[in-house]
Amino acid sequence: MSDPAPLAVREMDPSGAPTPTLEARGLVREFAGFPAVDGIDFQLTAGRLLTVFGPNGAGKTTLLRILAGGLRPTRGQVLLDGNSVDVGDREWRRRIGVVSHQGFLYGQLTVAENLEFYGRLFGLSDLAQRVPERLGAVGLENRSRSPVRTLSRGMRQRLALARALLHDPEVVLLDEPYTGLDAQAAAVLRDVLASLKDGRRTVVLVTHNLGQGLELADRVAIQVAGRFRWIDDRDRVDASTFEAFYRDVVEERA
Amino acid sequence: MDYLRVIWTVARKDLLIEMRTRERVAAMGSFVVLVGVLFNYSIDTAIVRPQEMAPGIIWMTIIFAGLLGMGRTFHLEEEDGAFSGVLQTPIPLDALYLGKTAANLVILSLVTVAIFVVFSVFFGLSFGSHPVVLAAVVFLALLGFVGLSTLFSAMSARTTMGESLLPVLVFPLLIPMVIFGVSATSRLFAGRPVSEVTGSVRMLGAFAIISVAAGAVLFRHVVEE
Repeated sequence: MSDPAPLAVREMDPSGAPTPTLEARGLVREFAGFPAVDGIDFQLTAGRLLTVFGPNGAGKTTLLRILAGGLRPTRGQVLLDGNSVDVGDREWRRRIGVVSHQGFLYGQLTVAENLEFYGRLFGLSDLAQRVPERLGAVGLENRSRSPVRTLSRGMRQRLALARALLHDPEVVLLDEPYTGLDAQAAAVLRDVLASLKDGRRTVVLVTHNLGQGLELADRVAIQVAGRFRWIDDRDRVDASTFEAFYRDVVEERA
Repeated sequence: MDYLRVIWTVARKDLLIEMRTRERVAAMGSFVVLVGVLFNYSIDTAIVRPQEMAPGIIWMTIIFAGLLGMGRTFHLEEEDGAFSGVLQTPIPLDALYLGKTAANLVILSLVTVAIFVVFSVFFGLSFGSHPVVLAAVVFLALLGFVGLSTLFSAMSARTTMGESLLPVLVFPLLIPMVIFGVSATSRLFAGRPVSEVTGSVRMLGAFAIISVAAGAVLFRHVVEE
């Protein structure tokens, strides 16, 4: 296991292309003077997946909300393809897909109606073809007419993923997508996440689950008390000793 | 065109959900019937002419029933964080506001029709000889009302006080609607000429335009963090 690296670690594309798709520069977000996110920097090029681990209250969800444009940072900036973006930036929202703790779904609408509704808000015109396709990808093609309130937790999570990917976003932000899923649902979700690694998308995954988080990652960060206390390439992480290393970092022994 | 499509998509979704749950219409409808029944038994029509007091009661019923329903505009949106999902989409936030306002206008218009029917049944009211002008008065007042209540409903939904905050915020701003709405309705019920209500209609028109325009402009500041 490598030693803890400096916070601002440059992420260079293997081909040498320098412009990161997603970049955080000195992100700080304070709530009533308390910094939930406290100076986070990272760069991520297209096709790469960053997994952020961290204990409860580390500020992972706040970080994701800032990256998603749902929360304005107190200081610092988010850059998309090198351009600074702000909360009101509609182009930013068009390029990002978010899976959160919540599904962002309407329980009274059917599975297909939910996707059609979001599809129209994204201005998509090929919904008759796209919706069944996306439902098929998450194994919900037979439930398209079911009201969402009748779905199990796992199905709702898969539908949330289909909703987030409906507009084919370049940047995908995932906040604890495995929470509450059984093994079968987790396997389906894992396949969908693996399909995101198609070289075009940039993914940030926030999770407590070390095994699932390491599985698909290219970069790995450990966030503690609002900061990235450690960040490195996945290749340099030994999965067999990572749990102990993670504990050391969280408890400030590393 | 995209802008109108967003308004239609949001309004259609809200109306579809209301059709399936009937949550707001049921609450408002029950209130309307209750008011009708109560006033039916509490007013001695041999002493008081219903025609003279009906405008005030009708507008009071519209306002209270409206607040009951409009206060829940964002209730279902919060269930699974759906409103946060909508805010993640690249739509103009003023179009989102206008879509929700349009859906609220349809819902409150239906309830208002029920109010007039209930009062007609209980009190045998005559609505005067200018139904189109009466409809315009009611429409403009409702538009102003939903314009304000949709905006303040978004605001109150984000506070710990929730729906109970809505009347406190909205009542003072409804004064123009009450004054000019009741005044015009009274005159129309009494069969007075249209020329006597044109001033009120203009004021209600201004109230509606200002309410909706202010809502469209301010909505983003309410919903964005």
